[in-house]
Amino acid sequence: MSTDQETLSRTGPAAFLRRRTGLVVPLLLLVIGVTLAIGTITMDVPSNVASPGPRLFPGVISVACVVLAAFLGADMLRRPEPERVAERPAEAPATADETGADETGAKAAADETMFRSNRPAVLGLVGTFVVFIALLEPLGWLLAGALLFWGVARALGSRRPVFDTFLSIAISSIVQLAFSAGLGLNLPPGVLAGVF
Amino acid sequence: MDQLSNLGDGFLTVLTPMNMLWVVVGALLGTAVGVLPGLGSAMAVALLLPVTFSLDPIGAFIMFAGVLFGGLFGDSISGILMNTPGNSTAIAGTIEGHRMAKSGRAAQALATSAIGAFIGGIVSSILVVFFAPSLADLATLFGPEEYLALAVFAFVAISAVVGESFLRGLAALVIGLAIALVGIDAMSGASRFTGGQPELFDGIDIVVITVGLLALGEVIAVAARRGTEKENALIPSSGRLWLTRREFRLALPAWLRGTSIGVPFGVIPVGGSEVPTFLAYGAERRLASRKPGSMFGKGAIQGVAGPEAAGNATAGTAMGALLALGLPTSATAAVLLAAFRQYGLQPGPLLFDRASELVWALLASFFVGMVVLLILNLPFAPLWAQLLKVPSHYLYAGISVFAMLGIYATSSKILDLVLVLAIGLLGFAMRRYGLPVAPVLIGVILGPLAETEFRRALAVSEGDASVLVSSPIAATLYSVLVLGVAGLLIQRARARRRERARLDVAA
Repeated sequence: MSTDQETLSRTGPAAFLRRRTGLVVPLLLLVIGVTLAIGTITMDVPSNVASPGPRLFPGVISVACVVLAAFLGADMLRRPEPERVAERPAEAPATADETGADETGAKAAADETMFRSNRPAVLGLVGTFVVFIALLEPLGWLLAGALLFWGVARALGSRRPVFDTFLSIAISSIVQLAFSAGLGLNLPPGVLAGVF
Repeated sequence: MDQLSNLGDGFLTVLTPMNMLWVVVGALLGTAVGVLPGLGSAMAVALLLPVTFSLDPIGAFIMFAGVLFGGLFGDSISGILMNTPGNSTAIAGTIEGHRMAKSGRAAQALATSAIGAFIGGIVSSILVVFFAPSLADLATLFGPEEYLALAVFAFVAISAVVGESFLRGLAALVIGLAIALVGIDAMSGASRFTGGQPELFDGIDIVVITVGLLALGEVIAVAARRGTEKENALIPSSGRLWLTRREFRLALPAWLRGTSIGVPFGVIPVGGSEVPTFLAYGAERRLASRKPGSMFGKGAIQGVAGPEAAGNATAGTAMGALLALGLPTSATAAVLLAAFRQYGLQPGPLLFDRASELVWALLASFFVGMVVLLILNLPFAPLWAQLLKVPSHYLYAGISVFAMLGIYATSSKILDLVLVLAIGLLGFAMRRYGLPVAPVLIGVILGPLAETEFRRALAVSEGDASVLVSSPIAATLYSVLVLGVAGLLIQRARARRRERARLDVAA
């Protein structure tokens, strides 16, 4: 009964796709397959190469990618996600509520939203990584590493920004000391180059 | 008895203060990552790879062995006390183990699991010592066709068994094979899929791939699950630490049965200890139900003993297959193979000749490590459980920092950091949509080998493809593979039909 209500209240292409976000995987496979195919065709092959040359294997894999993408896509279209959730016994009616993944979501909602992602957290996390990668060489390990620790902890739910600031600087300093001074790994000094 | 004198030399190498330190460090690290849910020994070794590059290989591998077995010792602690298995290998042992803890027998469950892991590990290590050299001798007879068959066997077996569907396993496998194609083709010198970037000519570093898939992928998955997970309560460990004679008599046959179930699975590439642990659990359950007064469902000691012994027995023989054949049978073994390559070593028959000191020191370190782990785990299991009180956001922030540090330190290339993030996102998408990660690693590691052997075989036979199946060893491998996969698919289809029938009745 809950499934019927749900399909009544949420129809149209947006809802259709929302239950099938898994399609990114076959899409990715398709992109890999096509990229491999283009790369294989345009490859510069040195002359005088023995008969199964460098093109055969990539060709086979690119075909496999496309074929598997088709199968996987069909599989994911036929079996959208809420059905998988609804199969689980002893669960509250599936509301398919997007905000259910929020921290404010009631405990009872936790089970059926298991497959839904906490998007703000993921975006915050990936954003932190991007900022870290961009700033590592200009700022240096000490500051960029501290930023990385702080940002990841924050994205994963830490709510003590001031304490985290000290903790993250401490951790990135320990790493700098242990691995750069101790083990001799190469870490960029950045803006603090003269200080040490 | 060549093996015994070699092993003796190995012990002499391991029992130096410095190498003992690595054993203990590895055991501590391994137990820690085992206890913490979501972290496994494969990820730990991947994270350690870049920073241990400056160590000597013997020290590094001794530590990796400690991490590998430590992970299997530790993963049952959080499972028993919190009903949150530290790793998928501990799920089977957790079922009865947590029930034992709930009925006030947590300490006995922990002891049963630690002793079981010890017995499984020791027995399989002894088997490896005696049989790995003969296996390596056999493998020297392998030509390109046999190695190709072995790689194909690993590809198909791991895709079929790991994960919920064969289709998803295969999809994961081709992603791995595709990633491994990037770089200069060793046989012809053609540059493939590098986009003309000189930084990609050497291919994508295996460390980048493993850290991205196993560490960053997991961190992103944790972020995505935030706020939806239930927190399980930690049951304090109580009761006697030592088993009574009656309990011991129940557990001992289960340990031995678990070991014998686990041993063969180390040599078959089915992705590690998940399958044998569940088989051992099922076997114990069936055996117990024949006698009156089965404790299954109320905390049966055999239900902990069997799976734990099976898990470590599999890990032990998996190391044997890796060393003697160069065949990784699980994600952890694949990462270890990557570690060997980092040090310019190729596991396989020649390793026993070329790096015999390393091999025997490594085998000896299994025994030493197992004893150290038993000491660390038997009395101190409740202490390890305290690790679970570290807030997970700091834990994963630390892992992120360590992952980025390692990647940058190995190559000093920003491109590698971009790649590791991209592969991390891939790993997250795969976790999110139910694709197993192990086939990607096997594809990345064995893909280039399969291609080289395939082309070599065809070059020798001048293009005659029948050479690929004409050797008896290769033909046997292919037929076993076809039969196995057919059997598995039929079994799965039957299970699905039964499930549908059950649902129809319920509806």
